[in-house]
Amino acid sequence: MHYELDIGGRTRRVALTRSGDDFAVTVDGRTHQVQATRIDAQRWSLLVSAPGRSDTPGRRVSHDVTIASDSTGSLTVHVGSTPVTVAVNGRRRWGRKDDGAVAGSGPQRLAAPMPGKVVRVLVAPGETVKARQPLVVVEAMKMENELRAGRDGTVSEIHAREGVSVDAGALLIVIQ
Amino acid sequence: MRKLLIANRGEIAVRIIRACREMGISPVAVYSDCDRIAPHVRMSDEAYAIGPSAPRESYLRIDKLIDAAKQSGADAVHPGYGFLAENEDFAAAVCDAGLTFIGPTPKAIETMGSKTAARAAAIRAGVPVVPGSGTALDAHVSDAEIAKLAGTIGYPVLVKAVAGGGGKGMRIVESPADLASAVRAARSEAGTAFGDSTVYLERRLVRPRHIEVQLLGDLHGTVLPFVERECSIQRRHQKVVEESPSPVVSPALRASMTSAAAAVAKTVGYTNAGTIEFLLDEDGRFYFLEMNTRLQVEHPITEMVTALDLVQWQIRIARGETLDLDPAALLAPRGHAIECRIYAEDPDNNFLPSPGTIVALRAPNGPGVRDDSAASAGLDVPIFYDPLISKLIAWAGSRPLAIARMRRALDEYLVAGIKTTVPFFTWLLAQPEFVDGRFHTTYLDEILASRNGRPFVEPSEDIEEIAAIAAAIHTVLSVPANGHGNGGNGKAAAGRWKTDARLEGLR
Repeated sequence: MHYELDIGGRTRRVALTRSGDDFAVTVDGRTHQVQATRIDAQRWSLLVSAPGRSDTPGRRVSHDVTIASDSTGSLTVHVGSTPVTVAVNGRRRWGRKDDGAVAGSGPQRLAAPMPGKVVRVLVAPGETVKARQPLVVVEAMKMENELRAGRDGTVSEIHAREGVSVDAGALLIVIQ
Repeated sequence: MRKLLIANRGEIAVRIIRACREMGISPVAVYSDCDRIAPHVRMSDEAYAIGPSAPRESYLRIDKLIDAAKQSGADAVHPGYGFLAENEDFAAAVCDAGLTFIGPTPKAIETMGSKTAARAAAIRAGVPVVPGSGTALDAHVSDAEIAKLAGTIGYPVLVKAVAGGGGKGMRIVESPADLASAVRAARSEAGTAFGDSTVYLERRLVRPRHIEVQLLGDLHGTVLPFVERECSIQRRHQKVVEESPSPVVSPALRASMTSAAAAVAKTVGYTNAGTIEFLLDEDGRFYFLEMNTRLQVEHPITEMVTALDLVQWQIRIARGETLDLDPAALLAPRGHAIECRIYAEDPDNNFLPSPGTIVALRAPNGPGVRDDSAASAGLDVPIFYDPLISKLIAWAGSRPLAIARMRRALDEYLVAGIKTTVPFFTWLLAQPEFVDGRFHTTYLDEILASRNGRPFVEPSEDIEEIAAIAAAIHTVLSVPANGHGNGGNGKAAAGRWKTDARLEGLR
């Protein structure tokens, strides 16, 4: 079985074969012997053998792994407690691409991530904005939260109005 | 006291339930619509619905809380922190209903809740307050008069809205030339934000620390202060890390700060648990800031270094017991404790709230670790309330050991499904200024700004490779739509059969 996995903006090619709990997993040409034991629906214990010499077996490194799907269809893989976002783009039908909200081309539609009140609109229509520039301040969960541009662009639509309450998912600003 | 209603939710409700259990008191919960299966409901003996999820329709409804207390036959009410904990009308309503309010008197809540009345109480007690204009400056006070006042207070000076909060209507003025325009701007901003354009002047302390003193007062006139808490690590004026004792407070300074705190409390006849907050400047001078007339979020670090249970003492005081504690022992900390407030926020997206369902959760434990939490796997972090999911507390014999223990505990903390501030704390506890105890109330905002949005989570190449391996194995063995077949039902068996059939093709 072959997959293409997007991790941290890089595509990795992964091939695997199985024998019981034992897998041979090749990542970008490097093959690892892995014993994978499932704990529950999300959690795995992996013992990964580092390649040893022919006369001495390699070390076996223990990893506690937890895997959850996130809202964009990607997987969040916690290795120990370190989260890594993995998009499975291979032949599997449920591996879908990012929706383009952050990277790439096409309009960026900034929506309210939670219900709240628009406190300030920091940009005007036609204004050029840079990635990570604050666009709108929304008060929610007792805090003021700055919502920022995902990438460089021009403000084409402003739906947010100061002082107005918005529902989660309400369209606030569109960047072209 | 046999039955106690907890007018709160989340971790603090759970904390109070635990104190009740240990004292043989029956805990009663209240819940809003979204909290029906929250831990505080399931851990209580009785639970009463108080309305829709929005706080103003449930946890802030005095009438519904009193009704629930009456229906349950509770004889006391604990407000926790937040919500109605510092609302004198609630305290009065509880007393009027013939119930015991676990907290100070309505009068003390009212007095210390007013910034100017609290400041006056501190002055009466002979405790220094931040030098300021003392009186409010309305629109009739001329620029020349204000300039004269500022000159006596000393620069840099803060122009603050009387009705202000959260930095609105506030200006920092470095030199006399900028004063008049700053006053105009502050008045205009305060008028828009609060409908009151009155301002006052206060000296701006340079790089102060926030140090606070926990107090307990019984009903018989005894007020006892505790070893200080260091709360200077703040993000946008919100505490995120607290520790006790402070790395910079000497025994002599502790003696003077704690006796000053007790003096302020005695001036207003304070009873039950409360906290006096001070600013400590770089020269070791301290100034009264305000009083919190409730149990603080960060009370566990005091419990860890004094081996006392503050919630149980609140209850014991309310039922008339005498504070028969050794005052010297309360000022002699045993070891060192640190608390991290773990929030459902995405540190890599400007700390935006990250509500949602917790898919998997593994809380740290082991020696010296305390996790005060109401989060559990399968439950939502509601969008309606403060997104605190856990207070993680590490105790050890010394500050360096407590930091090492906290870092170990953070490494053990796994929360999947939502983003949390755990990676942020892992980064913060590795900063040399934190490790050396060299920080002040604006340190964290400054260092965060200087990072320019660099991610807190930067997985190594090895970790990414393991993630790729795990994702591939997980994907090949996961059957969409009907779960993963570790049960014995037919569907799952069919799922496994399909998986195995598919895997046959791999060999």
